[in-house]
Amino acid sequence: MSDSQTPASERILSEADIANTVHRLAYEILETCRQDQPALIGIYTRGVTLAKRVHEVIRAAGHDLPLGTLDISLYRDDLDHLGDMLPTLETSEIPFDLEETRVILFDEVIFTGRTTRAALDGLMDYGRPAKIELAVLVDRGNRELPIQPDYVGVNISTTREQYVKVRFREDDGKEGVFISK
Amino acid sequence: MSDDNRIPSRKDLLDIASLSVAEIEHLLKIAGPFKDLFKRSVKKVPALRGKTVLNLFYEPSTRTSSSFEVAANRLSADVTNFTVSQSSVVKGESIIDTIDTLQAMRTDYIVIRHSAAGIPNLIAKNTRASVINAGDGFHAHPTQALLDMFTIREVFPESAGKKVLIVGDILHSRVARSTSTILNKLGVNVGVLGPTSLVPSGRHEFMQGFRDWDEALAWKPDIIYLLRVQLERQGEPFFPSLGEYHRVYGLTTKRYQRIRDEGLYLMHPGPVNRGVEIDNEAMNYERSLINQQVENGIAVRMAVLYWLKPATGNEKS
Amino acid sequence: MKLFQGGEIASEDSPFLQSADVLVEDGQIKRVGAGLEIPDGAEVIDCSGCVLMPAMFDVHVHAREPGQEHKETIKTCSEAAINGGITGIVLMPNTVPAIDSGGLVQTVLDIVAEKSRIQVLQTGCLTKGRAGEELAAIAGMAAKGVPMLTDDGSPVVDPRLLRRAMEYAKDFGLPCASHCEVPTLSGKGAINEGPVSYRLGLPGIPAISEEICLDRDIRIAQYTGAHVHIQHVTTSRGLDTIRRAKEDGVRVTCEVSPHHLIFNEEHIVDYDANFKMNPPLRTAEDNERLLQGLIDGVCDVIATDHAPHTIFEKQNNEFAGAPFGITGLETAVVSLYHHFIRSDRFGWDLLVRRYSAEPRRLLGLEPVPVAEGAKAEFLVFSTEKTTTYSREFMRSKSANTPFIDQTLNGQIVGVVRSGEMLLQR
Repeated sequence: MSDSQTPASERILSEADIANTVHRLAYEILETCRQDQPALIGIYTRGVTLAKRVHEVIRAAGHDLPLGTLDISLYRDDLDHLGDMLPTLETSEIPFDLEETRVILFDEVIFTGRTTRAALDGLMDYGRPAKIELAVLVDRGNRELPIQPDYVGVNISTTREQYVKVRFREDDGKEGVFISK
Repeated sequence: MSDDNRIPSRKDLLDIASLSVAEIEHLLKIAGPFKDLFKRSVKKVPALRGKTVLNLFYEPSTRTSSSFEVAANRLSADVTNFTVSQSSVVKGESIIDTIDTLQAMRTDYIVIRHSAAGIPNLIAKNTRASVINAGDGFHAHPTQALLDMFTIREVFPESAGKKVLIVGDILHSRVARSTSTILNKLGVNVGVLGPTSLVPSGRHEFMQGFRDWDEALAWKPDIIYLLRVQLERQGEPFFPSLGEYHRVYGLTTKRYQRIRDEGLYLMHPGPVNRGVEIDNEAMNYERSLINQQVENGIAVRMAVLYWLKPATGNEKS
Repeated sequence: MKLFQGGEIASEDSPFLQSADVLVEDGQIKRVGAGLEIPDGAEVIDCSGCVLMPAMFDVHVHAREPGQEHKETIKTCSEAAINGGITGIVLMPNTVPAIDSGGLVQTVLDIVAEKSRIQVLQTGCLTKGRAGEELAAIAGMAAKGVPMLTDDGSPVVDPRLLRRAMEYAKDFGLPCASHCEVPTLSGKGAINEGPVSYRLGLPGIPAISEEICLDRDIRIAQYTGAHVHIQHVTTSRGLDTIRRAKEDGVRVTCEVSPHHLIFNEEHIVDYDANFKMNPPLRTAEDNERLLQGLIDGVCDVIATDHAPHTIFEKQNNEFAGAPFGITGLETAVVSLYHHFIRSDRFGWDLLVRRYSAEPRRLLGLEPVPVAEGAKAEFLVFSTEKTTTYSREFMRSKSANTPFIDQTLNGQIVGVVRSGEMLLQR
């Protein structure tokens, strides 16, 4: 799907907007580091990029937090509904002990909450964290599960039929948040 | 999530020949994350929750059937083992009759091993379940080929251009057929050594033949792949004796010392015939990949089960 | 009286078709000529876009009766032949029981008289029960009119016995037909031995299995002076042997089947047992050499080796365990047109010579040309229509043909015998 070319989509956050939002998210998290040192885990694909960017800002501020990645494909509840195009798998890398650790999960958008549900299940199979929090760049509402993020970049009000796409230079060769009209 | 590099699923895995290079690479790629799961204390994922896997083995093979069983369990599928000794097959009942019965059990995946080539193809045509060929006669053993390739990639990430020497009974080996095909598709050179009665010329199309070990080792292989050898096939002897085979084509202690000195890797699909194709000393070789092959078998079979898409689905939709 | 109007006539003597009307009366061809007047009371049959040619004759057919009526009967086999433009068939004796005595020949001929609308000849075994151990009751069968002796389905393994059989058959003027194969070399083979059998993991039947037996049988015929007819030759080396033997004056004839001309081992895909027969499909090069042999005349006749088997036997089990053989009567003429005549690989004259005239001569029968004064025994073939080989189309009890559900160019729209329309569509 090529979104910026799709005439019916509109860029609602620019590259600079995203940089500012990431910065703000990072400082919000940094404030919590006074109590304990959380570990950051990005959900593939763009949650990983978001986690890395936030990690970098926090590291520049003097805190080198543990960083990991999580692929949730095998925990999705819609594998049966994907026809013959199943998600490609990535390796989850959690190079630290989860036990008694506060974990912050990163996803670029929260929508129905189903991805987060899968991520929670997946993460638990790696160990028993002290606490799990959720950070997102965009909260577009329309939840189907009782799940709320702890750190939100921007809130966007949308209808269920619209799509919201976050594009990062590292993953997509272009940058911005797009919404269909 | 990027849609670009996804490969559409197939219903069945019957052989290597019909897979594209992209499909093979995809399966090898997703087998990696599955193998990483083995390091966790919880080795199970819910991907195939509620699905049923039937292990239908007409030929006894504890290794392959357990490997599939572990793979299916780790994907949270329910596994039924159905081992049929060929002699107990009811006279007059065709494979199709059996399949009709199994269809009524609503199984989603059928893992089939049979002594006759082509049986998995026949079943695949007649069931909505995904059919995985776990070895049919002398024809194919595609998951063995995938696990062999996966294992080779672990020691040689850039496998193209490497050389694998297959030694033994090519004629009666589905492993040789499938593994040589996958190697050839991925640009690995294949050489073959064995008596002409077991390595008939003009049939195996892309394998280079050698007369003896000296000639074969002068080709500078990177991996020696030994096949299991039996004296008789359907009552017909193909060489004079196992002792003679061992002297001429076996990995004797002397030959083993040479491949150890040259640092070559060693593979075998198992079970090993000690004293026939391989001497005892070679079994403890640090560059033997035999145990790695077994572990990788589970990861590769998980990848295959995950990738295939049965036509069973939800009947409402 | 029937007037077949506006068609073109094929004969064994000319590659060119002749535009002419054909008038049939009392089972005879009364007149052949362009623009014939319509006699009073004559039924006019429009043959525009059609070729009229002598009806075909197949010297190698398995009708499965007595004993295996679930596969085919003499009645369904005869109707299948008519559906394929064939008005004469020669039945192989490998029924259950095998036809090895005059009494059994008579049994078959009684069924034929009651059930068949075409000419059916029954061959007899060379050895008792086809067991290859002692001579069958050849004189008794000769008295009942068998035109040929054969243990078809298997060779006579013992050369001494074959020698005696040939010597004895010669006294009765009967040709001995050979299914050439060395059983120990064929073993459990299922298809031709070569790269394809290796790829599919199927046991192979090497070409030498056929060639060694063919060589032997021709040498015994040469030694005894008997007439040997080589059935379904499939390899170019075998064909070379026959060619040399003919040059040496050996009394040898041979047949080639349509499927060995059209298909080869590369066509065997997905373990479809409708491509499994014995001798097996060989190589693409063999296809070409056999075709050349047919054009040169080394191959005397075309014969289908029509071998019906049920779907259960053919398609419900392992390939290696499925029985050998495919049906052929209904597909022969159309498939030869589709693959060879349409593309000018050979002409109509070759089809008529090799599948109508020569097979009749081989058995001492008169050919049936479409000519004034001849018996009215011909078929009407539309080059404009097509044939789809659905289960419903076929009259054989079995449908084990590689052409199943395929559509080929050409259609047999009429078959005439003794002035009667056996088939009209």
